[in-house]
Amino acid sequence: MAAPRPTGAPRPTLLILIAAALTLLTLQYRGVEPLEAFQRGVRDVIEPLRSVTDRVVSPVRSAWHGLLDYDELRAENERLADELARMRGRRLLAEADGELLERLLGEVDIGFADLETVVVRIMGTPPGNFATHTIEVDKGSDDGLAEGMPVVTGAGLVGRLESVDRARAVVRLVTHPDFRVGVRLVGSQDEGLARGDGRTGFLVIDAGVRADAVVKAGEVVVTSGGRSRFPADIPVGRVLDPGDGIEFLREIVIEPAASLENLSFLNVVLVAEERSFDPSVLLDPGERSR
Amino acid sequence: MTGRFRVLALLLTAVTLQATLFDEIRFDGVSVEYLLLVSVLAGFHGGPERGATVAFLAGLLHDSVGSTPLGVHALVFAPMAAAAGHLSVRLIDGARALALAGLAGAVVVGVVGAAGVGALFGLQPDGGVDLVAMASMAAVMTVVVAAPTSRVVRWAVTGGLPVDISIPDGPRAEGSAAG
Repeated sequence: MAAPRPTGAPRPTLLILIAAALTLLTLQYRGVEPLEAFQRGVRDVIEPLRSVTDRVVSPVRSAWHGLLDYDELRAENERLADELARMRGRRLLAEADGELLERLLGEVDIGFADLETVVVRIMGTPPGNFATHTIEVDKGSDDGLAEGMPVVTGAGLVGRLESVDRARAVVRLVTHPDFRVGVRLVGSQDEGLARGDGRTGFLVIDAGVRADAVVKAGEVVVTSGGRSRFPADIPVGRVLDPGDGIEFLREIVIEPAASLENLSFLNVVLVAEERSFDPSVLLDPGERSR
Repeated sequence: MTGRFRVLALLLTAVTLQATLFDEIRFDGVSVEYLLLVSVLAGFHGGPERGATVAFLAGLLHDSVGSTPLGVHALVFAPMAAAAGHLSVRLIDGARALALAGLAGAVVVGVVGAAGVGALFGLQPDGGVDLVAMASMAAVMTVVVAAPTSRVVRWAVTGGLPVDISIPDGPRAEGSAAG
């Protein structure tokens, strides 16, 4: 006997399902914890299978992408990328320190190089085709990671942890349109709020910096610290376009210090506690002291 | 094995494949939309109502293993499956090439639809030409794995019975049966 193909009116069921999906979306938007726990649980259940698949597929992947000497080339590429990242970071830090060393030392609570970090390996992008400007790393809450922790390389800021499971975490890159970080222009000491610019691969400071502030192309930009979740003085990048203050709307384009291509390993900064962003860091130092 | 366990096994296998094997096989950063494929095929084989239910669950699993809020893909997959169920009965039943083209179109619509819903809820997916190019690439890759998946989905959502419908032709059929 053949199974009749169900052709009955699906509208009530479909409407109920659509309403359920909208309800779930709304609840998650409001941060209902059980829903996030459900998602974490599903990911944790699948994690062992993903790890096994990574190991099994890794040689095939190498062959897929590779030439005969792929492994050697990859190792060499990683070494050079790491060295380049460190060199760029040193150069930016040297410029910053050389210009305003005394002032920075007086304000800095914690040095960028002295931060306690956990080294993580990049696994790729999260499953699916939806996650732009995010990458997945191979450690999670079992290794002491928590949401919001800054992620850096030797060159500077890469992003922050967006979600953390037991054994994996997702990093939101600095270029993500929803990424925000309080920054300080080392030359002018102006502070502002930078955001990722999505497709361009740059960051943009569009709040906080005075329209008449003197900003030069090439000026070094670091995190401002304060009550931000990011410790102070992590190199963010260099001013690419200082913009202009037409009608008090100024956009300063920053080229990220840390190259986001050809990365294999990252450092997650173990911040003791998550700190909320303090809007007062957007004021200039004179106004803040009043 | 009951029908519900078949569907459960299908969904767990599909989400595992989406998060493991198909996450590794990427062209230009684009991967197979396996859970969307299962959703559309569930509608195709199981009909609009059953397909929508399976697709809703597939969407929730997609949102769980990906980095999207719970409900984004469920909101898109369920209507896609219902539409596939209707179209499979009314338009393209039996036409293999047309079915594959329809499947590719469904994947494009599903990916773009999910991005649209995500944008409505504050996410910032790629848009414009990049999105369509990515969706088209995902559609081609998804169609490649459709044939073996179709058999499994049909087994799961129809209880293992063939889906062909033999409709008696009224008095004539009865007459011939009697004869």
